[in-house]
Amino acid sequence: MAEQPMAADDTDGDAPANAGTAVLGDRFIIDGSKPLPELDSPNAKAYLAEDRRDLSRQLFALVCIPGMPVRTRAMRLLKNLPGTGTLELVEWNTAFWPILGRRTMIIVMERPLGGRVLEQLQSGAVRLTEYDIPRRVVQPIYEGLKHLNSVGVAHRAVRPDNLFFADRERQEIVLGDCFTSPPGFDQPLVFEPLERSMANQAGRGHGSVVDDMFALGASMVVLTLGHNPIEKMKADDLLFRRTNLGSYAAICGNARVPMSLLEPLRGLLSDIPQERWGLTEVELWLNGRQQTPLQKKAAKKADTPYRFSGRDHLNIRTLAHAFNRNIPEAVKTLREETFHAWLKRAVDGGALSETLKGYVDTADFHKDNFQGSEEYLVARVVASMDPIGPMRYKGMSLCLDGFGPMLASEMIRDGNVQVLAEIINRDIYQFWVGERSVVLDSLERAQELAQIKAWLVINDPGYGVERCLYESNHGINCQSELVVDDCVIVIEDLLPALDAAANHVEGRARPMDRHITAFIAARFNEDIHPHLRALASTKESNAVVGMLSLLAFLQWKLRVQPLYGLASWVGGVLGPAINSFHSRTTRREIEREIPKLVRKGSLPELFDLVDNAEKRLEDQDGYADAVDEYIVCATEIGEIEEAGSELTDKAITTGQKTAAMISLVTTMIVVTITFIAEVL
Amino acid sequence: MNMRVVVWGLIIFVMLLLVALPTVLFLSFSMLPAVVALIVDRTDEKSATFCVGGLNLCGVFPYLLSLWLQDNSLDQSLRLLTDVFVLAVIYGAAGMGWMLYLSLPPVIASFIQVMSQRRLQQLRATQKTIIEEWGEEVIHDADVGDVSAPVEMPHAPSERTQAPAPA
Repeated sequence: MAEQPMAADDTDGDAPANAGTAVLGDRFIIDGSKPLPELDSPNAKAYLAEDRRDLSRQLFALVCIPGMPVRTRAMRLLKNLPGTGTLELVEWNTAFWPILGRRTMIIVMERPLGGRVLEQLQSGAVRLTEYDIPRRVVQPIYEGLKHLNSVGVAHRAVRPDNLFFADRERQEIVLGDCFTSPPGFDQPLVFEPLERSMANQAGRGHGSVVDDMFALGASMVVLTLGHNPIEKMKADDLLFRRTNLGSYAAICGNARVPMSLLEPLRGLLSDIPQERWGLTEVELWLNGRQQTPLQKKAAKKADTPYRFSGRDHLNIRTLAHAFNRNIPEAVKTLREETFHAWLKRAVDGGALSETLKGYVDTADFHKDNFQGSEEYLVARVVASMDPIGPMRYKGMSLCLDGFGPMLASEMIRDGNVQVLAEIINRDIYQFWVGERSVVLDSLERAQELAQIKAWLVINDPGYGVERCLYESNHGINCQSELVVDDCVIVIEDLLPALDAAANHVEGRARPMDRHITAFIAARFNEDIHPHLRALASTKESNAVVGMLSLLAFLQWKLRVQPLYGLASWVGGVLGPAINSFHSRTTRREIEREIPKLVRKGSLPELFDLVDNAEKRLEDQDGYADAVDEYIVCATEIGEIEEAGSELTDKAITTGQKTAAMISLVTTMIVVTITFIAEVL
Repeated sequence: MNMRVVVWGLIIFVMLLLVALPTVLFLSFSMLPAVVALIVDRTDEKSATFCVGGLNLCGVFPYLLSLWLQDNSLDQSLRLLTDVFVLAVIYGAAGMGWMLYLSLPPVIASFIQVMSQRRLQQLRATQKTIIEEWGEEVIHDADVGDVSAPVEMPHAPSERTQAPAPA
């Protein structure tokens, strides 16, 4: 299993030649020429920071690697509700970082003055005895985790190299940063509970205090011994060993663990989450209350090994893990009677064997669809073999609550998003949901994933995989090529970023793509369904109006200052919307008005101009009247043209009648005149 | 024409012969063009009969009046019928009727034709103006016979008009 943290940028401990400063919130100055490599996080570089209002304050800033999802929810909560046992989060926001030449997330924290605990231990500057562990190590970490738990945050980065001495005297230990990468992302395997350590690095999940407790236990071992007893063990071997022997035995091994720590270590390093020590047990232990130590429980092992993929397996959990990595071989194995015989005899898996055979038969029955595929079959089999392990499909493994970070990781590095989409679309996650009622709130997770599926199956703008990405990763920046360098994490930053992007956009690109739409849909807490429906329209004019209306709604609702660049950009792509008016006169009027509104930088006014309801109704009515009039004209023209000889005949008949009338009238006149002349 | 009409016609004719023989004789000969027109005109409207007969009567009436008012005798009737000038006037008037009947319809037809062409030009000009203002799609929609339904557009909230004016 890959255990390498994401590569950091190329800045190092020395001051870069083009170092500059950044100002956060008009208050905190981050000095790029003063790096603090001793405070670096795996995914963030540390620099000296100053508070303009209080220069005596000891601060440092973590400048995150652009693109790495950060934990904004945790930052928001902990900034508002600071507590003991953790480095105080002072400020966080995105800012332009001159060294990288782009915006990125910067987190200002209280500077620990005593350095890293592990470094101090290894250098011999500090010595921790078994008697120091409860009060100097466990107590402050416990306080920190307790506070985090009270605000609903799991630290997920508890490890010896992330513990700091807050004071120069190196008496007070505090937990370090947990914001600069997804939960559990930077944790070496030894500090992750077994079920999460089997998942891919990005898919270890948000977790809970239960997972932090395991990390605390593993950290206690390292701090007590002064070194990691299994540091050099390969990841696969470690997982194998932990699965077969249990995490406590695998980690502690033959190391001399003090008797006084045996009880908490067995409790904290339990592989059964519901048996693992929680905050209550740790508090009781700190208060001197003796508890019955958990007995070392090794996983159920077979007497004879089963060889698969060049390795002898004594445990079906390791076999399940291996099945997911070699699917064709796993399918062959599933069809072999020797495997089922081993399963029945060696691990008492008679019922399991029958279940797996049933899955194979079902797959054979569904040969023509995805349920008959080898990958689907193996996913189903693996879920039954290791129901409390991570979801495993097509070689990928992730925890139920790790879908979001995993999706982010795959999308950022153009990885295999398709596999994740299939996990959702094909309901593969359901294989694991039913088995986790204790470990996680499986119903809640199932609801979350069902909601993700609802977004995923819609391919319109504002939905799809992009929507899933932003809904399940609150700390990821908008991945649209238009604003990716602007590190837009919160919705308020989107329009200014688009305004700036207007200066360098090429061609007739529109200021809204699938990523931006999905980002707005996920981050903007207003009903934008009508806008999304318009954006999804196959009629270009509707799509353009939908885009403008959404941007205008954002500017109005968020009270964003005039956006001259964006207004100009939008004004330039309004052609189809203007052309949706039938009246050429109206079109010309709108085209004349647009430059005036662009100069005002007001998208709502631009929208009012282009989609004025009254004007549009007038246009529709006028058009309907025009069509009616055209039809009347066409009908009359047709009648006249079709008349032809009939008209001539009619004219002749009319002429004859006219002649008869003239004759009769003349007769009457002549007779009257003659009669009058003769008689009178 | 049934028998009854013929009988009544004969009775009336005989009565007229007994009562007004000069007049009947004079009219019988002087109104011959009208009778010919009645026979020749096969139309329902009998326009030729009215046209020729009307002007024929115009020519006859002055002489008929003189017959009635001056000397209502058979001699006078025959004298008029044998007078070339009188016959020329009577038949000339009937000839004018024929001329009117033959010449007026083409004139009227030409006039109506010109009016139709003018109307066509007006209608085509109207159509051109409509297309200039509303576009070629009018032709399509007119052919289809239905104007497309109004486009459903999204609306930013109505309160947007209350949004603070940009600085």
